[in-house]
Amino acid sequence: MKNLILITGIALTLTLATGCTNKSVVRYGDATAVETTDINFGSTDLQKVAAEMTDSLLVSPVVGTLTANTRPILFVESIKNKTSEHIDTESITDSISTKLLRSGKFRFVDMDRVTAVRKQLDYQQSSGMVDPSKAMQFGKQVGAQYMLYGNLASIVKSNKDQSDVYYKFTLRLMDLQSGLVEWADETEIRKTKGKEFISW
Amino acid sequence: MKNMNMISISAITSGSTLLVVALTTTLLLSGCKNVPPMTSGIGSEQIAPGQKYSQYLQVHNAELSKKLHISDIRTRTHNDLLELNLSLTSTYEKTLKLQYQFTWFDKEGFVIEAGKSPWKPLNLHGMQTAIVPGLAPTPRVASYSLYVREIPEKFFRY
Repeated sequence: MKNLILITGIALTLTLATGCTNKSVVRYGDATAVETTDINFGSTDLQKVAAEMTDSLLVSPVVGTLTANTRPILFVESIKNKTSEHIDTESITDSISTKLLRSGKFRFVDMDRVTAVRKQLDYQQSSGMVDPSKAMQFGKQVGAQYMLYGNLASIVKSNKDQSDVYYKFTLRLMDLQSGLVEWADETEIRKTKGKEFISW
Repeated sequence: MKNMNMISISAITSGSTLLVVALTTTLLLSGCKNVPPMTSGIGSEQIAPGQKYSQYLQVHNAELSKKLHISDIRTRTHNDLLELNLSLTSTYEKTLKLQYQFTWFDKEGFVIEAGKSPWKPLNLHGMQTAIVPGLAPTPRVASYSLYVREIPEKFFRY
């Protein structure tokens, strides 16, 4: 009898000690794989939005005409985050501008770095350290012809069993000279989260 | 007194037998083993536009190939960029949760922007045919390959 209790005790201890414990494991994942950790705006959404917007812009007939003989100069204004989440929209515009630049169809000016450029030109012009014949000149920069801007909006709904989130990303390209919107497109994402019965 | 002891011992014995049975059952039912998700799928080798795509298709996941097949691939050049339309047909009654990826190659067969082409999610409803667009990132692209697989869901099963 005592043996039975002892064996049960040992078996239980062994099971608890070696069995199903939660061990934290660190792994490298695939940065481009579809990620469904939770319902919030995630890396897959960012990549999907950036890829679809770039593709749409690059195949549009208007852009075909604009880029026929020249590489238009763009500047990215910003993406307004109208969702209820904190989303780094600069990261989306970074992805879009990088893809557009790498396509070889467009050129960009970066308005976020104006202060740094001014500081460097000031140094070259007025510090006395740089050979004046080799110093970069003020007033030689090229102005942007087009402005890229947009919005990210969301509609969130949930009940006790399910949550649903809908994102709409709008991107527009404006001709700075005429003020005309030359191109616009939007892309949508729907994500739902619900309880699923998992069987084996 | 002796009688009392006998009763209590038999109660303990039946109690511990019950405990052992209960524990074994619980362990069997709730037992845990992390089954690695299936990440293979169906895809293609490098295909250049104009080549017959059906000769280059690859099946790595026989289970998925029963439910899904690549029914057409069309290509054209638009604004100097290779554009393609991939038709995926489901032969399964339920929704397939898929992800797909295109890989782009230049004319020497070297991969362009390796690892930067994202996997995109696609929900394919029962028996649906979906046409999925793809666009080359640069005009240098001369051939492409593609891959479709299910979105792995991690289930903890016994």
